[in-house]
Amino acid sequence: MSRLWKEFSKGLWTELPPFRLVLGLCPTLAVTKTADNGLGMGLAVVFVLALSNLMISLLRKIIPAKVRIACFIVVAASLVVAVELLMQAYAYPLYQQLGIFVPLIVVNCIILGRAEAFASKNGPLLSMADGAGMGLGFTMSLTFLGGLRELLGSGAIFGVHVAWEGFQPLGLMVEAPGAFISLGVLLALMVFVQNLQRKRRGLALVEAPGHDCKSCGCCGKADNA
Amino acid sequence: MKEILNMMIVLALICGISGVTLAVLKQTTAPIIEEQELTYVQAPAIDQVLETHDNNPIKDRKRFDVDGRSVMVFPAMSGGRVTGVAFETSGKGYGGNIGVMVGFDLKSDTLTGIGITTLKETPGLGMRVTEHGYTTQFKGHPIEAVALTRNGGDIQAVAGATISSTGTVFAVQQAIAIYKTLKTQLAGGWS
Repeated sequence: MSRLWKEFSKGLWTELPPFRLVLGLCPTLAVTKTADNGLGMGLAVVFVLALSNLMISLLRKIIPAKVRIACFIVVAASLVVAVELLMQAYAYPLYQQLGIFVPLIVVNCIILGRAEAFASKNGPLLSMADGAGMGLGFTMSLTFLGGLRELLGSGAIFGVHVAWEGFQPLGLMVEAPGAFISLGVLLALMVFVQNLQRKRRGLALVEAPGHDCKSCGCCGKADNA
Repeated sequence: MKEILNMMIVLALICGISGVTLAVLKQTTAPIIEEQELTYVQAPAIDQVLETHDNNPIKDRKRFDVDGRSVMVFPAMSGGRVTGVAFETSGKGYGGNIGVMVGFDLKSDTLTGIGITTLKETPGLGMRVTEHGYTTQFKGHPIEAVALTRNGGDIQAVAGATISSTGTVFAVQQAIAIYKTLKTQLAGGWS
């Protein structure tokens, strides 16, 4: 039981997908204009991720290693099409909003990442817990980011106006650059909080990226670095 | 050899099962999806073009055949009698087809209005055919002589958007032609 909870809860904070693993950024950046959209996208991912993990875990003994990626993709794609059809049938306004991004769940790195890293090595129950936890973490992150952008960009949360009179909405925040800016600031804040915690416990700070400038070389000064 | 065969069989099986499942799902959701599309895409336009009615035009929709083409007709009824109808036609615009929902009043043979359903015109120019000033010209217009002013009619084109305006008027003319063919069937079509 404790193992199950451990696999479930790691997706909620220690391995929070978009912020900690920095996976699945395409939907994170694209659909978080409003909290509503973030939540809808997140729930679709929870559904696909939990079920794809379950199926892949059940099939893991019969899937030949050489074609495993193809098998994972077929399973994920089928689930995504199922979600798309169900969404059209029962939540059409949400489908109109999310549009192109629903089919794109197939190529969301989290799905394939969890299939490869977890579900293909663990039992069905643990895999489902892992998928549901990761999916919920993803939903939380997207809803939070969407809420933040909606609040700053249009003075509302979940479509309910909350800003005071005379609030000047920051239009930039609901456009593409706002997504990058808020994601970057949130990532920085998370590392900052983590460092504070580690300092209190007397641990070493989070490591800065290990590579030096040479891997980029855009400035032409790579040799001097 | 055995390995390759194993790979082929497993992959084919997984694909096959997925395919069958999705086909079944697609078939079961198709009617619900059609209803949803009508409710969210067509309904706003239908409400705009039909005069007061006490039925649900989407629920009472019916297909009619006109010269081998099938037309979905949405009726406006009051007290169980059809007073008006609306259906969608399309004309060529600048960026693909312009879908126009056209409403008719059965008693007086006039247009009760038009509503644009699909449109991909230039923002600020062609897109303005959805604006109030342009579409209201059709409201109450008799079904004869619907044409742009430059073709001898009385519909003012949107300035700078001749193609979009022509496309819209073409769609309305198409709708009128269909209406004339169907008129005799329409009044008794729902009784």
